[in-house]
Amino acid sequence: MSYRKYDHLPAKFCDDLRLTVVVVLNHRRHPVPNGAVCVSTCRDKPNDHGPKRLNPNSPLRSPSASPDQIVHSLIFPSAQQMSGGDEYSGFAGSSGDDQNPTPSVSNPSSEVAVDPPSIDGASIDAMAHKIQESLSLSKRHRFWETQPVSQFKDLGDTFIPEGPIDPPTPVTEVKKVPYNLPALYEWTTCDIQDDATAAEVYNLLSSNYVEDDENMFRFNYSKEFLCWALRPPGYFKSWHIGVRVKANKKLVAFITGVPAKIRVRTDVILMAEVNFLCVHKKLRSKRLAPVLIKEVTRRIHLEDIWQAAYTAGIVLPTPIATCQYWHRSLNPKKLIDVGFSRLGPRMTMSRTIRLFKLPSLPATPGFRKMELRDIPPVTRLLKEYLSKFAVAPFFDEMDVEHWLLPREDVVNSYLVESPENHEITDFCSFYTLPSSILNNSNHSTLKAAYSFYNISTKTPLQQLMNDALIVAKQKDYDVFNALDAMENESFLKELKFGPGDGMLHYYLYNYRLRYALLPSELGLVLL
Amino acid sequence: MGDWEELGQAVIIGLIFSYLVAKLISIVLSFREDHLKVVRENDLPEVEQGSEEAEKSTEVVSSSSTDGDIARVRDVSGNFLTEGSLLDDDDDWEGIESTELDEMFSAATTFVAATAADRASAKVSNDIQLQLYSLYKISTEGPCTVPQPSALKVAARAKWNAWRKLGAMPPEEAMQKYIEIVEELFPSWSSGSNMKNKNDDVSSSSATRGTMGPVFSSLILEEGSENDLRLDAIHIWAREGEVDGLLKSIETGVSVNLRDSEGRTPLHWAVDRGHLKVTEILLSRNADVNAKDNEGQTSLHYAAVCERHDFAELLVRHGADPGLRDEDGNSPGDLCSSPWNF
Repeated sequence: MSYRKYDHLPAKFCDDLRLTVVVVLNHRRHPVPNGAVCVSTCRDKPNDHGPKRLNPNSPLRSPSASPDQIVHSLIFPSAQQMSGGDEYSGFAGSSGDDQNPTPSVSNPSSEVAVDPPSIDGASIDAMAHKIQESLSLSKRHRFWETQPVSQFKDLGDTFIPEGPIDPPTPVTEVKKVPYNLPALYEWTTCDIQDDATAAEVYNLLSSNYVEDDENMFRFNYSKEFLCWALRPPGYFKSWHIGVRVKANKKLVAFITGVPAKIRVRTDVILMAEVNFLCVHKKLRSKRLAPVLIKEVTRRIHLEDIWQAAYTAGIVLPTPIATCQYWHRSLNPKKLIDVGFSRLGPRMTMSRTIRLFKLPSLPATPGFRKMELRDIPPVTRLLKEYLSKFAVAPFFDEMDVEHWLLPREDVVNSYLVESPENHEITDFCSFYTLPSSILNNSNHSTLKAAYSFYNISTKTPLQQLMNDALIVAKQKDYDVFNALDAMENESFLKELKFGPGDGMLHYYLYNYRLRYALLPSELGLVLL
Repeated sequence: MGDWEELGQAVIIGLIFSYLVAKLISIVLSFREDHLKVVRENDLPEVEQGSEEAEKSTEVVSSSSTDGDIARVRDVSGNFLTEGSLLDDDDDWEGIESTELDEMFSAATTFVAATAADRASAKVSNDIQLQLYSLYKISTEGPCTVPQPSALKVAARAKWNAWRKLGAMPPEEAMQKYIEIVEELFPSWSSGSNMKNKNDDVSSSSATRGTMGPVFSSLILEEGSENDLRLDAIHIWAREGEVDGLLKSIETGVSVNLRDSEGRTPLHWAVDRGHLKVTEILLSRNADVNAKDNEGQTSLHYAAVCERHDFAELLVRHGADPGLRDEDGNSPGDLCSSPWNF
């Protein structure tokens, strides 16, 4: 991480610089008079693309702003040494909420646009457009700008190489003791195999985890699912981190990492997938999320792992890909009743139900559930298939056994075994993620299937996925969800998936890609 | 003798040189801050007087907490929203949950941050800013444990001293004092911040999306191919379950069997949307219970497809024929996913 380089600086010095930088930041919000000295003006770059302003903070790292850059990159050491410092207060929101609208203080004229893309203009433009859409208010990412993640302004800069941003340091130099928590709380390591702990984690998440925009639904990951998601081959118990109230030992916050081999272009990297960041609703004003993120990062570093993959619903610096959720109604009446989807004023329920009707049995001959003996051929299929994508997991047989062998109410996998030569030719899978329906008297749970990894070599993908829909319907799922990642776009519309309001942004920590990927270049699904 | 002279000279030159180096270092160290002061002094006379104070108090009170506080207000409003669902596990939250004081404090810090950002706001003296800063630090981080900043940094040192001076004041007391100061400075602050709370309620939706991790997505409404459908008012009353409007329509002489462009009667619409009252009224006004739409489906077909058993029974009692087939040759029973007898 970037602060390592400045560890030798005395704490006082850093603290002073930190305060100085705060002054700079605040000052920047006001118009700069012509006579102002260099510190303020040298950041302003010519701005060809007026409307394409991305981030009020990005100028701080623009190449022409060397004095600031030095100062700015010093923010982090002080933040780190003053545990509980203000820099990451942007995180005070629910779970790593880093969007910090600064009402009436930002001055657009002092913002600098992303350099006009010279190569691959179309995708950058699309990217910039998407980012702009998500940034309705100017948002600040103080925390993320101090982290080794690629910054908005670096997008498309061909002079910066792809790959790790900071080189690994010796593990012995990683901070040995956990970050400080506010006085009332203490760290705990959650043994998810222990029933009582698993129940605590389940209860925390099911009451406090991700909700939709209107607070009508909340993810309700099952205990079995959590056990599966958190214990892949080679997992580290120490990465399942909880925060308890000292007084009554109540679990009030949670974050996890699991190891995963992820291939980025040609490099296979052992990374951490960071997920399940959750802070109890009643404690969201206590700023626990940033400390959780820093602590999980520290524990990942302790295992000599320096990259991570994660997703978020908001734009942070900087997505490697942005996917959209699509939804295929399996039980349209219930979806409409609970408000997951709506009936257009000119549409009848009756016609809607008939529209989404599915045959009762899969159509493809040889379509069956995956079994233990299928692990080697499925692994081969996956390896071959996932190599098409720029970023994808690198699964060996152990991973396939863990992630894809069917588990009741957790993950379902089907494949097509050729009736003639018994070769495994196609594969599809989906995981089970129910949501609690809040405030509905008739229904309490929405049972959703999420498309996982699908491979077609002989059976057309559309037919394969239709069979997946059919078995999902048989198993009483209400909706089948899929991202437009991988080759999914080829079947979404045809199979009557409708676009969702959720965008999922993918991120890599301490790894830079020169351009954002198209969803179809992304081969990674995070739970 | 010459040696002594030379040595003395060397010592003196050395002293002078090292003094210069030390001076240089201290200038460099204090350079940035001084430099910024120059900027501000250049800047501010041209702007309103108030903004200097405003800017300073952003700095002092909540340097970069501005953003955090906004998130916090959102959380506060979120708490209100979800109060009902949380009441059941309220047993052992005493002293741990965000108290009224916490929320008040959050609101006050937000207010101060917002005021500080507002150029037209009133002047706040340096002393009070330092007081607010130190109370804020005590409230959020407890007693001062960070190392003392260098003496060259006057502002940082002043802040540190102010914080340090409060010693081990309990956070509750600090919050209370903070609120009192804000109250004194801006007697009307809470009315303003309430407004803010309400505004944030609206935008709190995006807050829930602002999480690291997965996203809950639901379907966007897509208007399908039905856009050329023409409906009359009576169909809309039936669709929306508006009894009064429906009755008025009927009284003005509109036929209860009026067809829309797809051949549906108000009864089709009422059954489709599951409005029992409207269905009963239409049946009592002698609506044609076996009327077919353009696909040959009766209201009973609709009830079967939508699995509205009570409606199906009601229709059959009013003479609906379970044997009628639609254009595809299906009777209502054929369309029902669960077998049931009419």
